[in-house]
Amino acid sequence: MKKSSFIISLFILLVGFSSCNRNIKPDETKKEKPTIFPDYSDVTIPYNIAPLNFRIEEKADGIAVTFKGKSGGSIFIKGKTAIEIPGKKWTTLLEANKGGEITATVTVKKDNKWISYAPFSVFVSNDPVDYGLAYRLIAPGYEVYSKMGIYQRELSTFDQDAVLENTLLTGSCVNCHSFRLANPDDMSLHIRGKNGGTVLTTGGEVKLLNTKTPKTISNFVYPFWHPGGNYIAYSVNKTKQVFHETKAKRVEVIDAASDVVVYDVINNQTLYCDKLMTQNKFETFPAFSVDGRTLYFCAADARQMPMEYTEVHYNLYSIGFNPETGTFENKIDTVFNASEIGKSVTFPRPSPDGQYLMFTLVDYGNFSIWHKEADLYLLDFGTGETRSLEAANSNDTESYHSWSSNSRWFVFSSRRLNGLYTRPFIAHIDENGNSSKPFLLPQKNPDHYDNLLFSFNIPEFINKKVKLNIREVEKLAHTSGTNVAQRE
Amino acid sequence: MNLKQNIFSKDINVDVLISIAFGGTVFVFFACFYPFHLHYQEQEQLFLFSGNYFNDYLSRPGGISNYIGNFFTQFYFYAWVGAIIIAVFLTALQRMLWLTMRKFEDHNLFLPLSFVPSIIYWSLLCDENFLLGGLIAFLFVALFNFVYTLIKPAGARSVVLLFLLPVIYWLAGGAFVFALLFALTWELAVKQLKYKHILLLGFVNLIVTGAVPVIAEKFFLQYPVKRIRIGVDYFRFPEIFFPEIVLTGILVGITPLITYIISKRFKPRNKALVVALQLLIILPGSYKIFNKFTDIQKEEVMAYDFNVRMRRWDNVIAMADKKTPKSPLSVTCLNLALAQQNMLGEKMFKYYQNGVQGLLPDFTRDYTIPMITGEVYYHLGLINVAQRFAFEAMEALPDYQKSVRSIKRLAETNLINGSYAVSKKYLKLLQKTFYYKKWADRTLELMQNENSINAHPEWGRLRQCRVTEDFLFSEDERDMMLGLLFTQNKKNQKAFEYLLAYCLLTKDLKHFWQYFPMGQSFYTQHIPGNFQEALVYYWTTINKEPSKQIPFPISKQTQNRIAAYHNIYVNNMNAEPLLRKSYSDSYWYYYQFR
Repeated sequence: MKKSSFIISLFILLVGFSSCNRNIKPDETKKEKPTIFPDYSDVTIPYNIAPLNFRIEEKADGIAVTFKGKSGGSIFIKGKTAIEIPGKKWTTLLEANKGGEITATVTVKKDNKWISYAPFSVFVSNDPVDYGLAYRLIAPGYEVYSKMGIYQRELSTFDQDAVLENTLLTGSCVNCHSFRLANPDDMSLHIRGKNGGTVLTTGGEVKLLNTKTPKTISNFVYPFWHPGGNYIAYSVNKTKQVFHETKAKRVEVIDAASDVVVYDVINNQTLYCDKLMTQNKFETFPAFSVDGRTLYFCAADARQMPMEYTEVHYNLYSIGFNPETGTFENKIDTVFNASEIGKSVTFPRPSPDGQYLMFTLVDYGNFSIWHKEADLYLLDFGTGETRSLEAANSNDTESYHSWSSNSRWFVFSSRRLNGLYTRPFIAHIDENGNSSKPFLLPQKNPDHYDNLLFSFNIPEFINKKVKLNIREVEKLAHTSGTNVAQRE
Repeated sequence: MNLKQNIFSKDINVDVLISIAFGGTVFVFFACFYPFHLHYQEQEQLFLFSGNYFNDYLSRPGGISNYIGNFFTQFYFYAWVGAIIIAVFLTALQRMLWLTMRKFEDHNLFLPLSFVPSIIYWSLLCDENFLLGGLIAFLFVALFNFVYTLIKPAGARSVVLLFLLPVIYWLAGGAFVFALLFALTWELAVKQLKYKHILLLGFVNLIVTGAVPVIAEKFFLQYPVKRIRIGVDYFRFPEIFFPEIVLTGILVGITPLITYIISKRFKPRNKALVVALQLLIILPGSYKIFNKFTDIQKEEVMAYDFNVRMRRWDNVIAMADKKTPKSPLSVTCLNLALAQQNMLGEKMFKYYQNGVQGLLPDFTRDYTIPMITGEVYYHLGLINVAQRFAFEAMEALPDYQKSVRSIKRLAETNLINGSYAVSKKYLKLLQKTFYYKKWADRTLELMQNENSINAHPEWGRLRQCRVTEDFLFSEDERDMMLGLLFTQNKKNQKAFEYLLAYCLLTKDLKHFWQYFPMGQSFYTQHIPGNFQEALVYYWTTINKEPSKQIPFPISKQTQNRIAAYHNIYVNNMNAEPLLRKSYSDSYWYYYQFR
């Protein structure tokens, strides 16, 4: 009995000693930085982000990492091949190093030898990021869909929960979630399928709208909230999927026709503008300016589809909008002429501070997520210049993007990790419009992305938790819903 | 001692022998007569040895039953193992019910009734969409019922009921009501509690256990209320529910009480008559229910599909030689096997052909047809189409599971396309499976070396067959797609033969005649028989000069055969039966009479 107690005590002592040992003496020191997943070296992060857990991308018997803040504080953590940083210690370290830098020194155990790599830096920004992200998780498939849903993730922790899953309504599809200035109290999302409609939550009320009117070619599709909250701009699209046969490409989503309309939330009416519903143009992807007086949208000359799908090039336009009367001006301005350079614009998104507009540029068409060449671009309203966000872009797809409330962060979906499954990356953008190296949304387990058979779709910042009464949605879905009227 | 007494004497464990015989029959049925349904089930799920996979099931009521069901379903990879599993579980259900019945009444009089829930579930499992998890749920209930009878103090039973029933709900879903039903009947039978106490117990239990799904649906489970309450996925289509499920549950719950009441109230003297009466109801009932849920034609399609999946081309052809397939999917498999064995042009009309649907069936949004059609596109070299069909088939699974067959195919198509990161993702998942781990390990190792992939007998060849110039796939123009595939790689004989077969099946001889010279070099020794027949037939329709020879080397035998065919055709008013007798294997017969 005494002997066993002694052994246990000794074991505890040894374990305690080894876990407290912050000074692993490396047997070998390498000059290069370690290959880790996700790649967090030299990224800029907000001080309120969840721990950057990572794994070493080589065969190892152990890993030890020391995070050291330039302004103080440190964390020493060990693991098998990955590390799981304690949340509280991480938060303390980031708080202590706001606006500064922390270095991470990785030591790897291989064949009973500890090999130390050159430290890498993580820059901690003074700019906080919003409360969380809302995104859709969906398999990157074709026409058939299985389980999917819209989820929310708190950015300072790893907590994710479902906003709405399609399991609630068998056979349905949920998509196009949108919030007014990142505020989830005002939300629009679509349910497609037998019990479908547009779910609109505003003023604490949930409605299910039937949005097809005699004048529109389809239900509402791509949304964008007016900053005042009284309007939502939507595109209406006749969409079709076609499939490529070469190895580099998979899917092409094309519009055979599309228009832009504005939904009047207060009066439950659709507002039309002839200039946004022309026969000879495909209009889509509306977005209001921050002052709510300009409506940006993309439009391309109509072509015969699908035969001429590579000939469709969307430019970025704007039209004046009067929120007091819900009317449009007559003049349309060209904001960015992409067709001139043989390119096409998608997803225009003005920054909340009104300085910039970010968009995706592709070779043709509007469904940029399936275009490997898709990159993010920034239009500076101050200088009128447009440039590629080189630091954020990769050789693979960068497509949907969303600004943080303070305009200092943007999240975007990218296929850069494996060419198929889109993942959310977050990057800092300074007052001069310079982007930092983006970082992959951290997960508790770095293997999370390997195991996940879903893509992250439409990542949107939210400034608080989305509260949606799903049983109310279920109930509404079994009613006939509210028909949207059209303004005469 | 007469025979009657012998059989039903409690001194002899005849009941055990009958249970074993029952299990043996179940085993023989699934192993020998219905094995391909088991293979089919195995491919429609992806059981992973991972914490995430387990947690996903643990978080749902009835999820554990589904999890255990899926765990065992993965062993259907070998049908005989699957047959053993089902036999053991069905026998276990019967035994538990029987042992519970014996707690009420210690005689063998109602032994046949104890088999009824197992027989019902046996027949249900003959439908490929019924899942093993449902049986597991009933096993949980039956086990609870039996254990409940072992607890002697009434107070302890009440406590167990109160605390264990919510657990049973989480393990077995809505089937917990049958456990509650049983517990109340037991209390009525043993009479240790007063009626009002039993009523109160039932009421409290309903409230407590009923609160669990309410809490679940309110706070974290986004399923329709009905599905949360039912919990277990008995059927692959969760919105469909069968009365046979309820019947099974009720029988598991109240059979002991019924038999108890009958034997108490009626005190049957003629025991043989009681048994005979039971059999008189059970046997025709079993026949009826089996008739409802078994489908031998599907078993045939599944057999063809399984052999294609395993690349057992000889088996496919041997099956067709034994009995010519008629369903489009079976014919699709057969035509693929013929093409794989370079026999399509020679023998395709030896078998029944049902048009293009037996060659390249239309895409449908389900989990069976795209999988089979995808096999054809895969072996032809239309890798992106095969990839899409595999993905769509998986996504179409209505119970939101993933398909191990699809994942394996996606690993292959991405590997062939050089999308190694994506392929690796799927292979890593397969490394967490029981049967596919070794294959995934080997493939991951092979992926290290590009030359090894290029030298692989299947993947290397398919890499060569892929299209290099992009086009958009159009199902309405399958002949054009085959043509584009062939013209981008003139060595792709299968694509060429499928193009010709497409023309033959659509009776488009004009294009057949136009296309044939493009791949004539494949047939320097001998033009396949059915192709010869088509060529010579078309020649007779376009050639106006009798002296002119057909510009292809047609064998003497074919020339003689068409002359004889023609002779019968023109000299008989009703030539079809005569021609069917001797020429049903010819293209001419298909052209004129199909």
